[in-house]
Amino acid sequence: MSQHDLEECMELRKQIFITGYKGGMAHLASCFSALEILYTLYLKNGMRYDPEDPDLPSRDRFVLSKGHAALALYAVLCRAGYLTEEEYGRYLKPGSRIGGEPYMRDLKGIEATTGSLGHGLSMAVGMALAQKMDGTGAKTYVLLGDGECQEGSIWEAAMSASSLGLANLTAILDCNGLQKTNRVDETLKVVAWTEKWKAFGWDVMETDGHDPDAIKECLDKRRNTSAPGILIAHTVKGKGVSIMENNPMWHFKLPNKKELKIFKEELHITDEELV
Amino acid sequence: MLSSCMGSLMELAEQDKNVLYLTADSGEGGLDRMFRMNFPDRTYNFGIAECNAVAAAAGLATAGKIPFVYTAAPFLVYRAYEFIRNDICMQNLNVKLLGTGSGLSVSSLGPTHHSTEDIAALRVLPDLMLLSPATPAQVNACMRLAYEHNGPVYIRLGMNREPELFETGYPFRPEVSDILRTGKDICMISTGSILSEAIGAAEILAAHGCQAEVINVSMLKPFNAADVLQKINGFKRIVSIEEHNTAGGLGGILAETLADAGICAKLFRIGLRDTFSQGYGKLSDIRAENGLNAEGIARQIREAFYE
Repeated sequence: MSQHDLEECMELRKQIFITGYKGGMAHLASCFSALEILYTLYLKNGMRYDPEDPDLPSRDRFVLSKGHAALALYAVLCRAGYLTEEEYGRYLKPGSRIGGEPYMRDLKGIEATTGSLGHGLSMAVGMALAQKMDGTGAKTYVLLGDGECQEGSIWEAAMSASSLGLANLTAILDCNGLQKTNRVDETLKVVAWTEKWKAFGWDVMETDGHDPDAIKECLDKRRNTSAPGILIAHTVKGKGVSIMENNPMWHFKLPNKKELKIFKEELHITDEELV
Repeated sequence: MLSSCMGSLMELAEQDKNVLYLTADSGEGGLDRMFRMNFPDRTYNFGIAECNAVAAAAGLATAGKIPFVYTAAPFLVYRAYEFIRNDICMQNLNVKLLGTGSGLSVSSLGPTHHSTEDIAALRVLPDLMLLSPATPAQVNACMRLAYEHNGPVYIRLGMNREPELFETGYPFRPEVSDILRTGKDICMISTGSILSEAIGAAEILAAHGCQAEVINVSMLKPFNAADVLQKINGFKRIVSIEEHNTAGGLGGILAETLADAGICAKLFRIGLRDTFSQGYGKLSDIRAENGLNAEGIARQIREAFYE
């Protein structure tokens, strides 16, 4: 991971935390788990898009199927030019354009309304199918959670994507091993993501989900395939703040006074920035 | 109705290359095969997976396609409900949902295959247009209207050989109700293919000295209250007739409309009363068993108003 990417992602984590903390609610751990994936797609040439022409038919599309990582998506959309810093900072405040889950009507750049898990991959299948029919060469990307893969509709969509030969569809599995209340493999115990996705007709790759270079390399490898692909990105839920990492308790929680001290230290946040 | 539906879809597909035909392992008969043959690159069978078909249709619509999702009404509406709500309606996306075998029309397979709460479930979804045609010719008009409307539409289709009750050349306007029979004593308002039974009931009532007006409503949402209120003006006895639960469907719509307008009239709602359907057999059998054939409707009206 380059020093530049490291610094950019540290800055984004800081911004996400400050905004979520001031807003009074955020799925911080999920945001920090998915951050490098979103960063790579939007800010490291992972996708083709133009915020000046957000409806461009030939754009690549991204669906945040695990909608609760919305605040991280807004952070990269802000950097990409879809909303201003001021708009981002108004998160959950009166007049805010953005809420706790992505809603298409809120903002250009949000390609799908998500929040209820198990919808995004199906919508992405429709988008990728339309791109394939139109022959523009555009691609669709979708970020899934590993807990989300407990939804049956994910597997309906997986079967349809391979049956339709959607080579322009790439899913990225934010594989942090945790869901809201427990470990994923202690909740529904047969995980075996690689075998499952291969069995459903997908090309499967694995990578470190916090290394933008490694993620980018995998995305680039997708360019000469005939099947839909999934990148199993091994991530750490809560990545970047020691007390939050790998602890399901932090799925939907803000720090108390004592915990806040650790967040501030590890994310280099000053008292003034939280006012 | 199915032949009309597929015939209309073929005409629309000829006219507009963005029109797509999606199914979830439904679609039978010659016209279905003909569509697949004529438009192989615009026909997609998503398999026995209604949620995925509906959400994929939403994704297609975000890219300017006009998907018509055709599958069994109960599975389309009940299984995929949240996908219709979140993926289609929240974005007001241009997806057309064709629920086949609605009401009791899949008579032999019992209540799992009937859709007798679909109007109630769907009409609370913002931006969703609800069409409930009564005859094959009216299906054509509803398909055309659905295509011309830029937004989500659900069309409630029967799957029997429904009789044509309108004369050739009838000027269909689904947004306006149709008067099939005039009368002065009661006003019967029907939706969907049960219209034929409503007309039959009116004839039975006439033999008992009661002259019934029969009105057909095919657009349930947005509901043209002004049109219906004008047509029922002066009637003190109003009857709703539907192959649906009496709660939330046409009867519910009329109850709300009358109350909202401050009109004092007796509304008698005929349909399934907080129950699933009873019995098996041909559609005529199951309608009879549930009091929804012409005789049953006439009997209930006499009991409600004249005994």
